[in-house]
Amino acid sequence: MMTPLLEILGLKAYYSMHNGFCRAVDGISFKIIQGENFGLVGESGCGKSTVVKSIIKVFPKYFRIEGGKILFKGKDLVPLSYNEMRKVRWEEISVIPQSAMNALNPVYKVGIQIKEAILEHEDVSSKEADERVKELFSLVGIDPKRTEEYPHQFSGGMKQRANIAMALALNPSLIIADEPTTALDVIVQDQIFQRILGIQKQLKCSILLITHDIALVAENCDKMAVMYAGKIMEYSDVHRIFNNSYHPYTLGLRNAFPNINRSKSDPLVSIPKSPPSLVDPPIQCRFCFRCPFSTQICWEEEPGMTEIEPNHFVSCHHLSRVEEIRKRAAMRETWETGDEGPSKERIVS
Amino acid sequence: MANKASTLSGRGKMQLEFAEACRRTWHFFKQSKLGLIGLFLILMFLVIGILAPLIAPYDPFAKNYSDSGRLKGLLPPSKEHWLGTTLYGRDVLSQVISGTRNALIVGVLTAFFVGIIGLNVGLFSGYYGGFIDNLLMRITDIVYGIPILPFAIVTLSILTRSIWWIISVMSMFYWPTTARVIRSQVLSLKERPFIEAARISGANHLRIIYKHIAPNVLPQTFVHGAFAVAWAITTEASICFLGFGDPYSLSWGTIIFDVFTSQVMYRAWWWFLPPGICIMLVVMSFYFVGRAYEEIANPRLKGV
Amino acid sequence: MKTYIFKRLALTIMAIFILATIIFILFRMLPGDPTMTVISPALSPEVQQELRHRFGLDKPLIEQYFVYMKNLICGEFGVSFQHGIKAYEIIADRFWNTIFLMVPSLFFAYLFGVIIGAYIAYKRGSKTEISVIVGSIVLRSGPIFWVAIIFLYLFAVKIPLFPTGHMRTPGYMGQGIFQTFFSLDFLYHLILPTLCMAIYYGCYPLLIMRTSMLEVLGEDFIDLSKAKGLSELRVIFKHAMRTSLLPIATSVSLLGAYAVAGSVLVETVFSWPGLGRLMVSAVLDSDYPVAQGAFLLIGLLVVAGNFVSDMLNGILDPRIRYR
Repeated sequence: MMTPLLEILGLKAYYSMHNGFCRAVDGISFKIIQGENFGLVGESGCGKSTVVKSIIKVFPKYFRIEGGKILFKGKDLVPLSYNEMRKVRWEEISVIPQSAMNALNPVYKVGIQIKEAILEHEDVSSKEADERVKELFSLVGIDPKRTEEYPHQFSGGMKQRANIAMALALNPSLIIADEPTTALDVIVQDQIFQRILGIQKQLKCSILLITHDIALVAENCDKMAVMYAGKIMEYSDVHRIFNNSYHPYTLGLRNAFPNINRSKSDPLVSIPKSPPSLVDPPIQCRFCFRCPFSTQICWEEEPGMTEIEPNHFVSCHHLSRVEEIRKRAAMRETWETGDEGPSKERIVS
Repeated sequence: MANKASTLSGRGKMQLEFAEACRRTWHFFKQSKLGLIGLFLILMFLVIGILAPLIAPYDPFAKNYSDSGRLKGLLPPSKEHWLGTTLYGRDVLSQVISGTRNALIVGVLTAFFVGIIGLNVGLFSGYYGGFIDNLLMRITDIVYGIPILPFAIVTLSILTRSIWWIISVMSMFYWPTTARVIRSQVLSLKERPFIEAARISGANHLRIIYKHIAPNVLPQTFVHGAFAVAWAITTEASICFLGFGDPYSLSWGTIIFDVFTSQVMYRAWWWFLPPGICIMLVVMSFYFVGRAYEEIANPRLKGV
Repeated sequence: MKTYIFKRLALTIMAIFILATIIFILFRMLPGDPTMTVISPALSPEVQQELRHRFGLDKPLIEQYFVYMKNLICGEFGVSFQHGIKAYEIIADRFWNTIFLMVPSLFFAYLFGVIIGAYIAYKRGSKTEISVIVGSIVLRSGPIFWVAIIFLYLFAVKIPLFPTGHMRTPGYMGQGIFQTFFSLDFLYHLILPTLCMAIYYGCYPLLIMRTSMLEVLGEDFIDLSKAKGLSELRVIFKHAMRTSLLPIATSVSLLGAYAVAGSVLVETVFSWPGLGRLMVSAVLDSDYPVAQGAFLLIGLLVVAGNFVSDMLNGILDPRIRYR
């Protein structure tokens, strides 16, 4: 078994707030093998973006990695200094950022910003770098002449494509796509994603896809993890999670996404209420407040990770009741009544 | 807790939000040590200014004579005169105290006028753009093109050298700074989605300006207001230093003018230093308060 | 870009005209005989009559205005009451003295302010940052004339390192521009007032730069530039600073106005024979032709400063150019 490309072990990352620590990521573990795509799914505020920040280690002063390891090609990134991280950044791991709007510096031409990344890491001449930038632009479908333009002259979709071009500039082993399609409309979304995949086949890199869109993960990833309130609820490869889901949250998420095959009169079933506050996190199962199947033990104790079948991990107390849970989860009424418990405030993140 | 706010009517909700915003502002303001020091100093000067005629030991304009009839000129600090006397025998401490009142009146009034004019010009100019923006910005440029000290000097020679004219002239000149800053803020706010949303939902222009944009630029206006006080006090002192001050109201600048024209500043440190230190302290305290507030008003600055 | 420059230039010229008009109105408002701005009562009646005719004072006000404008363009400021010679000569002389003081001062003020401001913004929360900020606020809070006197005391009286004022040692007569302004004697007299102004006025761009940088450092593209593996210095100086310079460009005009006001005060303290000091003494002596001309030139400097600031803005912000 070769060394995994990226292995995260018990990562804890906290934000320092005026009323305490916000435990955005509170002990998660997963691994990505070279060449495969990994999807990290969860709703807003569950800590997915924090994972990105932790891996690439670009974060504000009031944030710190409290514990755990981030092993990239076997080497732990957590204790590395800013200058040591510079060799890893972009060359090995690059990021397609979430907000296309602000990712590019408005006072410099787009081409220059990509060229800068190339020149920083590779010993090529300025002219060669220019050529490479033009190639990258063609690759993502932007007219190479437009490298001389400024970000404000690009449309939203084009900016995101420019970001992709930039992320690919150094042929990294791992590309982290942080909600790459959120700011875009559906059609552009699809185009962008097809492009990313096409390129990936060419360059043989892995993609860590961070998204709330479980359907996107289903189509494009090999393995996935479902994240909720800073912890992983279920983790396995994609078809086992879809065909053999165990965790109530996973089941709920699948319901919440529009299915073109469903009848028109069938409105979406959403999971009621909201995630708990991460400043004062609960000691019990994080999902118990919204879980229609929770019982006494769920309120008292946090379930550990169980390997229900080889390479399929779930964090739930009620794995034995799975058949019943699956049946009931498919019914609308289950989710509408929901569970009555003390409601906690929304996450502040 | 969140539910309570949403069940109130529009006006009540705004009041609750405002009270909440005030509390939050004070909570963050408290955290700035410099801001608190500034506030404390301002309060101290305020008290001195208000009580000036009561606490000054002597009449600041009166010449003091010793028991033997000699003029008590240029005496270093002593028990009777804590800050010594001027060349003409006047008590320095009393002069400095009465200067406090003068400085605060000038500062606060000027800042008030500057704030109102600057805010509105910035709002309208930034929001409407086009002809109005051009017109207002041309006016701003013209005002910018006129150097204040020369203008003040000439104007005060034409009119009388009174403190009210000084305040008026200064107010007429300082608003462009605030206006420009507010305008650029409005320009960037204009592009934000929430303004477009308001426009699409049918809000008329004045409503957008005063209800949506203004509250967002108000903090910046206050910050500038604080700085305007500091500027006004300094500028008034400068006008007085050149000899154009109001002869009846004793400004700290006038005191320094007296020292300088007598050319004894290297000897009579007790006469030269206190007014300058006072100006420094007041200006500093308004800067601190302005800056502390700026940290709150501009959330991006926190903890980066 | 060319349209931008032309537009700005046109506006600048218009501003100068308006300034001249305002001065015309202002000086006509002086108490007493309006002709006092041109004719000194001390002159003989024949000369008065001649001047009255030359300056069109026997004509209606509107015509007087045009004559005034025409005269200005030709550089005719009138005859000084105090000195009896053409006002233009006195003013022109002083004009260069002021330029050679202000330009180096502002240049160093900005250089010093921008670089230090950018650096301390990056080192936010450190002891260096706090001490620099407090130091610059304290310095900047004292009025410049007071600070200048202290400066003078420390470096010219207590430790007699520099002269206590004036522009050159009495008795020194330079031949022509080069000898006057580039001699060691001149530089020797220039250092203290320039240093004083540079440090004092530098605090302003320092604080603006810091604020602007802090705002920019919070932007997403800064995070991305770090993620690209760029060095810290590159991130600060290439990305953050460049974007943060925009408010600085706007502030040049503001600081220009401050510095012009400040130069009046600094010239007074250092007995520097410049435009500001000339104007103050002219007003006090009721030498109106000189006062008028000096005022106009000072205003011209400020307007020119605005123009420079607009140009800088255009260079630094591509969004203005390509809109």
